[in-house]
Amino acid sequence: MLGFFMRRLGDVIPTFFGVTILVFLMIHLIPSDPIQMMAGERGVDPERYAELQKEYGFDQPLVVQYFNYLGGVLQGDLGKSFVTKRPVIEEFATLFPATIELSVMGILFAVIIGLPLGVIAAIYRGKWLDHLTMSVSLTGYSMPIFWWALLLIMFFSTTLGWTPVSGRLSVFYYIEPTTGFMLIDTLMSDEKGAFISALSHLILPTIALGTIPMAVIARMTRSSMLEVLGEEYIRVARAKGLSPMRVIMVHALRNALIPVITVIGLQVGVLFAGAILTETIFSWPGIGKWIVEALNRRDYPTIQGGILMIAFVVMGVNLLVDLMYGVINPRIRYKR
Amino acid sequence: MALLEVKNLTVEFGSEDKPFRAVDSVSYSVDRGEVLGIVGESGSGKSVSSLAIMGLIDFPGRVTADSLTFDGQDLLTMAPSKRRAITGKDIAMIFQDPMSALNPCFTVEAQIMEALKVHEGGSKKQRRERTLDLINQVGIPDPKSRMTAYPHQLSGGMSQRVVIAMAIACQPRLLIADEPTTALDVTIQAQIIDLLLKLQEDSDMGLLLITHDLALVSEAANRIQVMYAGQLFESGPADSIFTAPRHPYTQALLEALPERSVGRDRLSTIPGVVPGQYDRPKGCLLAPRCRYANDHCVASQPEVTDFNGRDVRCFYPLDDQGLPTGQTNSQNVGETV
Repeated sequence: MLGFFMRRLGDVIPTFFGVTILVFLMIHLIPSDPIQMMAGERGVDPERYAELQKEYGFDQPLVVQYFNYLGGVLQGDLGKSFVTKRPVIEEFATLFPATIELSVMGILFAVIIGLPLGVIAAIYRGKWLDHLTMSVSLTGYSMPIFWWALLLIMFFSTTLGWTPVSGRLSVFYYIEPTTGFMLIDTLMSDEKGAFISALSHLILPTIALGTIPMAVIARMTRSSMLEVLGEEYIRVARAKGLSPMRVIMVHALRNALIPVITVIGLQVGVLFAGAILTETIFSWPGIGKWIVEALNRRDYPTIQGGILMIAFVVMGVNLLVDLMYGVINPRIRYKR
Repeated sequence: MALLEVKNLTVEFGSEDKPFRAVDSVSYSVDRGEVLGIVGESGSGKSVSSLAIMGLIDFPGRVTADSLTFDGQDLLTMAPSKRRAITGKDIAMIFQDPMSALNPCFTVEAQIMEALKVHEGGSKKQRRERTLDLINQVGIPDPKSRMTAYPHQLSGGMSQRVVIAMAIACQPRLLIADEPTTALDVTIQAQIIDLLLKLQEDSDMGLLLITHDLALVSEAANRIQVMYAGQLFESGPADSIFTAPRHPYTQALLEALPERSVGRDRLSTIPGVVPGQYDRPKGCLLAPRCRYANDHCVASQPEVTDFNGRDVRCFYPLDDQGLPTGQTNSQNVGETV
């Protein structure tokens, strides 16, 4: 298992360099140079320009700049924001928990709803229950997030008044961030009702963000389940006299999960893309909203740092997914 | 009373008004300690009838029978949970392809222990010991280390031994072996059959051996049942069927054995294939391929009749010389129609 882990880790390293090169080049591929960009409309006199070029290292050859950048990245230095002048990594660290909280809830929602839907659809293949679940998931998949989110807000927040419209916590509460995860922080605090407030703020963004992955997972689970249910070993399991429930949950599902887990891993990338929209709509103070703001202000170090960090997280999750195959599927674990 | 009694078992697929009969009114019985061989070409309904006995025919397949009893209990009207308690415990089945019969995600041990857990209970330690016994019994070398192996780490022969261990785990009274050696190479085939027969003898099980290997069935079975296109064509004691086939199909099958073609240029064959759903003849299902078929055979279907103590579905059962009885030469329309 350790060997398997090391091999998978080795596969990630080239991707890491690829991502850093792309992100590094971004700043040099934009029309106009970064110093002019920073100076904005006021412009900058040649003396100051040279000074700044030196300060940011733009006077060096590209390769040297890249290795300087890479060295910084490896030490956790993603540069400073043009706008706030704070280190990008610091801003990222304060905002990231909010995004993790939302993404974890989103993926949980997607898996908890999507997986059973797919299994049910497969069991009742061709019956009305199958058609119903598959139409629901196709609708969910086709719905643009911003539109879906607005619909949810209009119906549940405005019309029914069940959930708050935006933010992470009601203004009545003040919670000192310790972990940065609102659900945990409110649970640990003495403020009564704060946890419920945090939870209710999470519901709509979670649904908005989790709907597309949910639909993808449901459809993938269904087709994977159908394939496995046609296998000979399922017949053998039934010939042993096992209950239909056991055949499905133990013998079929575990085999069917292998492709589903791949999809879940890939959905994490989709989730971050979705988080940018969802966070903007729900004023969720996470990195999605942060990157959108940085884009609007052309704050390149922040955009670079944000993209790099998201790429790392997606890579990390997919590495985790690869490792999970090994746990689920012995054939992969033992392959040399 | 026989252990397994099947009377007029029919399995249909497709729409209600235009069904396809994969198995058509087949009857047989298996006793304790008896080996019944079912032979026939691919597509003759051998496997489907055994799946029907196991209760493994899924919607849209329909199973009907005048009676389908195991040890006096009616399997068809039984509650599903009660039937599951018999399936895998008293009636067990071995499948054709051992490489796909084992779940790739679980160890050998886990898969054998599962049947024990469901039907016999007991502590985990007891089940593990019993599993070790079983693995020993089916002749797997180095049982201890094989217990924790995954199916992809086993050869075909080893996998089939595991499948057999799984099937006999709860000491079934009836074992259905559906072409247990087809997917294995020849040297392993003999070993697996010997193992099956030894297990059958030791525990006085009834064994339903489904195969298209005539040589195998002639050695192993007490009685033989020849099936064709879902119908029973001939049944009787193994030795007499081989010496004196009463049905033209049985005769043709035996002639197709390579050892019967010694000294001839070509092997004997039966022209054509088993009729499927869309090309079913109106009369006798064998008529298009039968060398003795005449207009009567093409026009109407024969019933199963008793001929010299043998069940035969033919208008003109063969005599001891292998020639059709009751047929005048003028009626004969030649080899194939």
